[in-house]
Amino acid sequence: MTKNKVELACIIDDDDMYVNLIKKIIEAKQLCKNLLVFENGKDALYHFEALLKNLNRDNIPEIIFLDINMPIMDGWEFLNKFTQIKNKFGKVITLYIVSSSINPVDIEKAKNINSVKDYIIKPITIEELEAVFLKESA
Amino acid sequence: MLQNELFNNVMRDFNTGYWELHSDPHKEIWSEKFYKILSYKKEEVEANIDYFLNNLIHKDDLEVFRDNFLNYQRNSIDFKQHIKILNKQGEYQLFRCSTNDELPVNIKSEINFIFFFEIILEPSQTITRDNFYYKETAQMTSTGSWYVDFIKKESFWDFETRRILEYPDDYIPSLKDSASYYAEDCVQQAADLFFNCAMVGTPFNTEIKMVTANKRVFWVRAIGKPVYNENKEIIGVRGVFQDIDDIKRKELRLQRSMDIIASQNSRLFNFAHIVSHNLRSHTSNLSLLVQLIEDISDPSEKIELIQEIGQISTSLNITIEHLNEIVAIHTNKDQEKKLIRFDDTLKIVTSGIGQMMSNSKTTIQKDFSELEEINYIPAYLESILLNLITNAIKYKHEDKDPVINIKTYKIEKKKYLKISDNGRGIDMNLFKDKVFGMYKTFHYNKDAVGIGLFLTKNQIESLNGRISVESEVNKGTTFTIEF
Repeated sequence: MTKNKVELACIIDDDDMYVNLIKKIIEAKQLCKNLLVFENGKDALYHFEALLKNLNRDNIPEIIFLDINMPIMDGWEFLNKFTQIKNKFGKVITLYIVSSSINPVDIEKAKNINSVKDYIIKPITIEELEAVFLKESA
Repeated sequence: MLQNELFNNVMRDFNTGYWELHSDPHKEIWSEKFYKILSYKKEEVEANIDYFLNNLIHKDDLEVFRDNFLNYQRNSIDFKQHIKILNKQGEYQLFRCSTNDELPVNIKSEINFIFFFEIILEPSQTITRDNFYYKETAQMTSTGSWYVDFIKKESFWDFETRRILEYPDDYIPSLKDSASYYAEDCVQQAADLFFNCAMVGTPFNTEIKMVTANKRVFWVRAIGKPVYNENKEIIGVRGVFQDIDDIKRKELRLQRSMDIIASQNSRLFNFAHIVSHNLRSHTSNLSLLVQLIEDISDPSEKIELIQEIGQISTSLNITIEHLNEIVAIHTNKDQEKKLIRFDDTLKIVTSGIGQMMSNSKTTIQKDFSELEEINYIPAYLESILLNLITNAIKYKHEDKDPVINIKTYKIEKKKYLKISDNGRGIDMNLFKDKVFGMYKTFHYNKDAVGIGLFLTKNQIESLNGRISVESEVNKGTTFTIEF
């Protein structure tokens, strides 16, 4: 298996513990080279909006893992704004929702949003995480 | 004629005469059996309603039958009536008339029928008895009848209508006074129904609030239908009032309990989601951690990871404490309410956060003059004020010292508390639905937990109150509580 095909991944989640653990798994498994972390949708959106003004392909992640329940700007709102600008990056960005919500309303809502590749219910397993990165680098 | 075999079977079972009505009033079709029962040959009588009303029906039954017939023909209002019809021998035979609702439910007929079932009377049964029974029925069911005569411009109430409306026996009702017979909020409804019935012949059957002579408001079922003359013009409105106050009040009480149960149920459902979500976030971290520990071979890294379990356990405990607080609201709401002065509660709250207030240079302006006290659970009022005041201080404007305005007031019978600040405000376009959600914070403060307003809302709602919020960024926030 060739490692490190994914250059940059992005996690948008307010749960420090979860982010730390994912970081550790990514490091241990060498799933990608660099990781961007934002603790709410607003911070993430600022980053992407700034990227648009100063397009640097290296800072555009290939994968985003997005949480739903976050303070200040939640996942839905981020998705709404992000969908409007995501075609301007000139690069395919795959977005996964990773949430502990098992509310069918949330899952159905996510399915109906084009830019969402899949809805992953927490806890994500190490195998699932590997599979996601593998798919991206295939 | 209906070629329907089912229908023919039913008619055979009925063994009775009937009419088939058509929109052309001179085209009623009378069945063979109808002629036969009365011993007429077809050519001896004219098969139409006018001939029937003028020649065959007993004059005592004429007016009621005419109203029923026209109502049925024009509005498809079913009826049942006893009538006497003249036979070939010059004697009257008694019939029970009924309409399509007499048909079994599996037969849907497009055409309106009237069926005539002959009744053979025992010699002892006389008409005067009927009158006695009418009175009995009226009294026992609290059903009074009334009639408004447009020709004589008179209104008539029977004894029972006067009784349920508590008017004296010699009271003469009048259309002019009719507004005073109905509760204020029902006058328009009553007028509309009556007007429609009088002008276009629409019958009514409704529940409405009336007012007795002694100004007691009570519920009645009001039924009315138009009365026609020989020329089929509407010359009056006839109907009944039935006192249904007991039943209606029970129904309303039931509806209220249902609303309460529904709102409790939705809170419980909400709570189940919160529990599931909040506990899941910790358990999924735990599960992720365990996977990682198993996956990693370096022992020192393993030990490092094991220490993380302590942190997860701490967060889990905090979450469970929060959930306990919410459950406590649902059990505490049966705590005793006491008459408490707003000013006293505010003093208790502010003395508890004196340090926080003086550090932030907070001023509180209060006005409890319109509503000084309230019957409430003291601990809740303290918790509500504490939450709203500390929120106002925590989210104060960067350049302004906090000024908090607290005012209580009454509108009609409802009691309100309004608390506004000059803080940094909440962007309502973004957060309108989320202000009172659990673990929702809108600011970058580190000490924002996102449970205060959720608790406040739950406390208020558990005592059947409401809380709403208005806010403008950089101007401030106003919370309004309806107790």
